[in-house]
Amino acid sequence: MKPATLRSATMYVYAALLLAFMLVPLLIIVPMSLTSGNALTFPTPGYSLRWYHELIDDPRWLKSFWNSIIIGVSATLLSCALGIPAAIGIAWGEFPGKRLIYAIVATPLVVPVVIVGVAAFFFFAELGLAGQKSAIILTHTALAVPVVLTTVVASLSRFDRTLVRAAQSLGAGTGRIFFKVILPLISPGVVSGAIIAFIISFDEVVVASFLSTGEERTLPRMIFSGVRESVSPAIASVAVLLVVFSAALLGIVGWLQSRATRSHRTRPS
Amino acid sequence: MALLVAPLVLFILIVFLGPVLRFLWLSVDNSDVAGNLGRTFAALEGWQASSGLPDEAVFQALIADLADARQKGRDGVLAQLINQRKVGARFLVIKTAKDAADGKFATPPLREAVLAQHAGWGDVSLWTEIRRASGGLTDYYLLNSIDLRRGAAGEIAPAPADRAIFLDALVRTIWISFVVTLLCALLSVPLAQAIVSAPPPWSRVMFALVIFPLWTSLLVRTVIWIIVLQKNGPVNNALLFTGLIDQPLSLIYTRFSLYVAMVQVLLPMMVLSLVSVMRRVPASYMKAALSLGAPWTTAWRRVQLPLIMPGFLSGSAIVFVFALGYYITPTLVGGPGDQMISSYIAFYTNTTLNWGLAAALSVQLLLILIASAVLFWSARAVISRPRQAA
Repeated sequence: MKPATLRSATMYVYAALLLAFMLVPLLIIVPMSLTSGNALTFPTPGYSLRWYHELIDDPRWLKSFWNSIIIGVSATLLSCALGIPAAIGIAWGEFPGKRLIYAIVATPLVVPVVIVGVAAFFFFAELGLAGQKSAIILTHTALAVPVVLTTVVASLSRFDRTLVRAAQSLGAGTGRIFFKVILPLISPGVVSGAIIAFIISFDEVVVASFLSTGEERTLPRMIFSGVRESVSPAIASVAVLLVVFSAALLGIVGWLQSRATRSHRTRPS
Repeated sequence: MALLVAPLVLFILIVFLGPVLRFLWLSVDNSDVAGNLGRTFAALEGWQASSGLPDEAVFQALIADLADARQKGRDGVLAQLINQRKVGARFLVIKTAKDAADGKFATPPLREAVLAQHAGWGDVSLWTEIRRASGGLTDYYLLNSIDLRRGAAGEIAPAPADRAIFLDALVRTIWISFVVTLLCALLSVPLAQAIVSAPPPWSRVMFALVIFPLWTSLLVRTVIWIIVLQKNGPVNNALLFTGLIDQPLSLIYTRFSLYVAMVQVLLPMMVLSLVSVMRRVPASYMKAALSLGAPWTTAWRRVQLPLIMPGFLSGSAIVFVFALGYYITPTLVGGPGDQMISSYIAFYTNTTLNWGLAAALSVQLLLILIASAVLFWSARAVISRPRQAA
């Protein structure tokens, strides 16, 4: 074998091994969660859907799942309500302090999440809202809104502003222009931003661990406290479901984004 | 246009930035002590530990302050704060405040009466700590978070060995983040190179596989390592099956498992930033170097490496800064000796309710974070300067 061939063969073998290190753990828990036994072992003594049934039959898991959905959807809607107008202002407006505003809005991305959680705990405890869903929704919105802002600003950069002027000259009002002209054209960016925002909230555990107690526990919070006691096959089943759930949602985002760039590239200019 | 941005900015300021700054302020805030012991501090003016127990006037002020605090419902907070500085003082403060509010010490002289009921006040070192806690602001927590304290004369001195745990935690946090960054950097270079130089369909498949873990939650990826590395998990069973070991290894809750989990979680970020830089380096550069007779390793080191250095640095910056703030992963897969600053912040908030210390540790964490971001950023600026000039 020539040295160059040997070298690239080694490189690909290495790449395959490293990818295996990153992915096999995610895959191996699928058969493990399907165990018919009482403990998490591999190889499994036999296969069954027993632990998935256990999840569905346990009201605490079900309740926490709905808590996560309610919190995730509310945080997503709120992020869009705040993020989309702000994205239009930032993408099209020229005003002093724009960089400062961008910096302020981006702070939730850089502050370590433990500090966010503790700070939110204090803030909402003083307001008497600690342990309420609304406290988690507001904090998750702060964490998710920078992502909505960036994706919407990106799709606005591909937006042809003469369309707005055309609509104005035809007599459309501001609301009508927004819902009938702008929103349909930037919808791929809005939808991917919204999905990522939802996943940020749905997967978030640190803020939830400071702010949610008892009845208001979210799904990640349930996993977090469950793992600290014992790792049961039920935990593995939830993990599998979460992997599948977020992968499916983010698959939609990937598809939307590739479609958006493709249609942009093929658009005659 | 600015009006469209205003609601978002207000929201972030009120719900996010305000609460964070308010919490960080707790690291120097002393108003709960100063506000509730105002008369006592005034009476203590000029008192020295060497002159023995304070006099009657101080005790009268103390009883008046404690009675007020009790009536305002602040005695619990006050007792907690004094207890942080003088362990065991909590019940003394609470009981004395209750008696004071009930009017047990109504007729002076009070000093002997108080000392007879609550002998704890006869401890001069307690008074030294109280005297030191005067003033609206305090450096007590910030000093505490770097294992320092004020000595008897107000000078800064090292904390007693049994309480000096924070510099260790700080060094450990930086060290773990450094090792994780280094491992990520070394491991991902060949993978990124393979992604860039593979023929198109394979290149895209490998890229998608690298991104896939990013799509799953951090918590789930951490939990998976507990399952995989546990005593009768797949890794131990495979090693037992092949006969490499005859006893299951304890892999989980160790520094090893922490590194494994953190590298697996953060590696995609490094690969992504390397790939984005490598894609912009034409393959012909390496070919030219090789055709001029350079051995492959020399060509890679002299031609490819300098060109991908910016990607290296930005990837390292992202991994390092993320790693510094990690909480979930060290808490779940690390052992007691592998905890990072974030875990201490959570511990002092949830378990001991020492919020001033939690805030001081947060200030510390944020400062390291900012410092390392600036460091990476300027390193990047230095490295990319010659090429900008060319």
